[in-house]
Amino acid sequence: MFIVYIFILLLIMTLVSFVVKRAAHKIATVESVIILFLTAIYAYLRFYSYTGGMMSVASFPIDTSIGISFLVGVTPVSLALLFLTTVIMAMAIFVSGRESYDRRFYGLMMATEAGLYGLLISRNFLFFYVFWEAIIIPVFLLIALFGGKNREMASLKFFVYTQLGSVFLLLSILTLFSFYNTSYHQGFTLNMGKLLSTAFINSYITSAQPFWTDFILFGFFFAFLVKMPSFPLHSWLPDAYNSAPYPVTIVLSGAISLMGGYGFYAVIYPIAGAIGFMVAWIVLLLGIISLVYFGLVAMFQENMKKMMSYASAASMGFISISLGVGILSSGYNTYTSITGGVFQILAHGLIMGLIFSSLYIIKLNTGSESTLTVRGLFREMPIVSAFFLGGLMASLGLPGLAGFIAEASIVLSSYSTIGMIIFFVIFGMIITASYHIWAAQKSLNGPYNEFLGSIRDGTRGEIAALSLLFVLILALGIYPAIFYHMIFIYVKGGI
Amino acid sequence: MFSILFSNQLEVMYPEIFLGLVAFGMLLLGRSVRNPAVYTYITMAALFISLILLFKFDMGTETLYGGAYLVNNFGLYFAVIMIISSLYVTYSAGATLKSNPESFFSLFLLVNVAMIIAAFSMNLIFIFIAFEGVSIGTYVMSAYGKSRRNLEAAAKYFFTGIIATGFILLGSSYYYLSTGTFNLESVSISKGPMLVALILLFVGFGFKLALFPLHQWAVDAYDGTSNPVSAFLSSGTKILAFLIILRVFIVGFQNFQGDVFDLFVIVSIITMTYGNLAALSEKNIKRMFAYSSIAQAGYLILVVAATSSTGATTFVFTVAIFTAMYYSLVYIFMKGGAFLSVSAVRKENVDIDDMSGIGVVSPAFAISLTILMLSLAGIPPTAGFFAKYYLFLALISSNLWWLAVIGILNSAISVFYYLRVIVVMFRKDGIQRDFDTSARVLAPLVLAAIISLVLSLFIFAYPQVSSLVTGLGVSI
Repeated sequence: MFIVYIFILLLIMTLVSFVVKRAAHKIATVESVIILFLTAIYAYLRFYSYTGGMMSVASFPIDTSIGISFLVGVTPVSLALLFLTTVIMAMAIFVSGRESYDRRFYGLMMATEAGLYGLLISRNFLFFYVFWEAIIIPVFLLIALFGGKNREMASLKFFVYTQLGSVFLLLSILTLFSFYNTSYHQGFTLNMGKLLSTAFINSYITSAQPFWTDFILFGFFFAFLVKMPSFPLHSWLPDAYNSAPYPVTIVLSGAISLMGGYGFYAVIYPIAGAIGFMVAWIVLLLGIISLVYFGLVAMFQENMKKMMSYASAASMGFISISLGVGILSSGYNTYTSITGGVFQILAHGLIMGLIFSSLYIIKLNTGSESTLTVRGLFREMPIVSAFFLGGLMASLGLPGLAGFIAEASIVLSSYSTIGMIIFFVIFGMIITASYHIWAAQKSLNGPYNEFLGSIRDGTRGEIAALSLLFVLILALGIYPAIFYHMIFIYVKGGI
Repeated sequence: MFSILFSNQLEVMYPEIFLGLVAFGMLLLGRSVRNPAVYTYITMAALFISLILLFKFDMGTETLYGGAYLVNNFGLYFAVIMIISSLYVTYSAGATLKSNPESFFSLFLLVNVAMIIAAFSMNLIFIFIAFEGVSIGTYVMSAYGKSRRNLEAAAKYFFTGIIATGFILLGSSYYYLSTGTFNLESVSISKGPMLVALILLFVGFGFKLALFPLHQWAVDAYDGTSNPVSAFLSSGTKILAFLIILRVFIVGFQNFQGDVFDLFVIVSIITMTYGNLAALSEKNIKRMFAYSSIAQAGYLILVVAATSSTGATTFVFTVAIFTAMYYSLVYIFMKGGAFLSVSAVRKENVDIDDMSGIGVVSPAFAISLTILMLSLAGIPPTAGFFAKYYLFLALISSNLWWLAVIGILNSAISVFYYLRVIVVMFRKDGIQRDFDTSARVLAPLVLAAIISLVLSLFIFAYPQVSSLVTGLGVSI
């Protein structure tokens, strides 16, 4: 129930943000930090006592005759992502303070957080879908209202593209719902646990309905791969990331991108039994292609915001790889791979939060985000530059930082399945490392670009926020068990 | 001698009789009172009282006039929502009238009489008369502005409408020839004339719902008439046509469901695809809404496709008809509100770009229209989504996955033109500030937006409302 109270509190706070006219930034910051603390306390209380299964299950029946109820439950996967969401949102809201956004902006930011929160705690497919879709609305409005140049086209493209993905998700959900009643004869339910249960999927869908199995899987994969975004379905990404105002880019890369991954582990992984050899390989290869392709594209970007948005998409490729490996292999390889995938979402979100936040401060102070203009920043703003460097290092997978743990888990567990193809994964990682170092070298080191004049470092508050985020990344890199352990137990116990 | 007044046969007609009396009373009053506001309030009061009368006298189940008139809660539901749709546009209509308010509003009430009759009719002659009552009334209403545009729109509407009337009459005759009755009931007689009747009636009634080959009048008429009248044409009368289509093709042709299915599937696919593609490239906002309501009609008749498919179980049937009821209710406010919102721009031909900057001038207006657009596009958590949810649930449950995919792709395409309106409204540069955002324009819009959100709670009412679907008149 505790989590439901937090959610209700969050909804009230969203309203408050929309309504109160004065001090919108301060209010939103305080609100998001309160939510962060409550979620962190909740997560902390669960770390030690966790032995498996679902936590905080609560049900609010709405219309049981057609299976609709607001069913709430938290798994370690969703708890890790809840934590990530609250951190990223608090960060994004806090660093936006220097630009004068009004209450609409913060209201929409809070609405995004509420949507994500709702998505992660819902265990009823109808609410899962409602939140899934509802999140797009505030993000769309944020880009359309506050975005940079080309914002109209970018926001429309973002919405239509992701909408196209999600409608198929709806059809898959409805198909499962329908078969649960007509073939399995267990009545009407939209309970995710029941609709994705092995007993139902394996004996009534996979074997009895080959066509419908493909239909369901197509809907799920399409929706999640679009959101990820994975290789052929990514064309909304550069426009949305670049036209969005910086705080929204932080949210897009840190929090919105977790949706696709969450869908993978909460919806697709439980029905792994229905997924054929071919499909798993396709997903795996898409992940590898994403990793390499986005890495190559990022390499040729001069604009660091663009480069990092591709870097974000590239490291989401690891999630597809982890799912593919998780399905194809068995035993500990599967557990490690899946746990690594979940951990990758968490690490990627935190790292991208750090990178985009420090890039935002650099952009505010220098007025540029291009590697051609921003040069030798260490001289003028050493502290923010240091954090930016820290983010880049974490993103390329430096040991001791969170990204390494996730990537190592996935790569180690995938070798037995994909064999020599792992060469391409390594190749992708080398590319990633190369342009990260390149960016750091150009923008941070070397002679200072005197045309930028004398500029200030980040403010004290900004530095404090960045350091908190960095400490988190460091902590998860040195002692990953904080989340890793819990997720591992959960994955091992069968999702 | 007055006992006939209190007999069962007449009691159920009290709401209609009452509205008719008020309508004629208004005409008399028109000689002395010229203030449109008076008639607006009289009309609103009369419609409101007729609602009460409906609940008083038309609850429960009764079959009258030899099976021609079926009073039950299903019909009552539709009668009530059609009156609500009239109530919804009354205020705006009164505010835009320039001359002869009494005749406009008495016609309006007479249209409502016809709509109530149609809601309970189970007989093709009854339906024909009621349908004509609505049509003739709306011909005059759409010509009411007397400007060239109004008259042109009304003339187009009128001439094509007459052709549809002819088709209905001919179709009804064929129906009678092959079944021996005008009543809509289970009949199993010769197939040939029945198929002719099917096509003819489909053309006749499909005209009013603006299905694909018969849609062009709608675009011109909605574009040409005043905003409240187009709101009414696209909400109230559309729901009426939809109800009649449900009645005629699900009940009247229940032994020819295979043919009904083929016909409706083909027409619905073409209608929604055409409507959406045409709306995509349309710059004029009212024409865009008109095309979007053509597309919406395509979704609406998917209900008939679901109920007449071979996979239609009791559950499918229930959900499909529930969808029809729910969608109709939501549709009134979504589409009505959208058309009324155009009044905010003070000019004749309103382009989508003319809305630019209204988000700065009146945030309440922009937010409300945003909600309506999201609802029309079927994005949660608006009621439009839940309507579509049940629609696709019905389609999937009857194994019509391909139809569901086509429908849902269409709905994804439609997002583009609905959201374009939102983006334009919140534009910050190159904006104009001359908007009419007085309460007259704002109030109905805000109301529609609130209702579009609140109606998503309608999922709570599924058990109660779905128990009404047997009232359609077919045993399931």
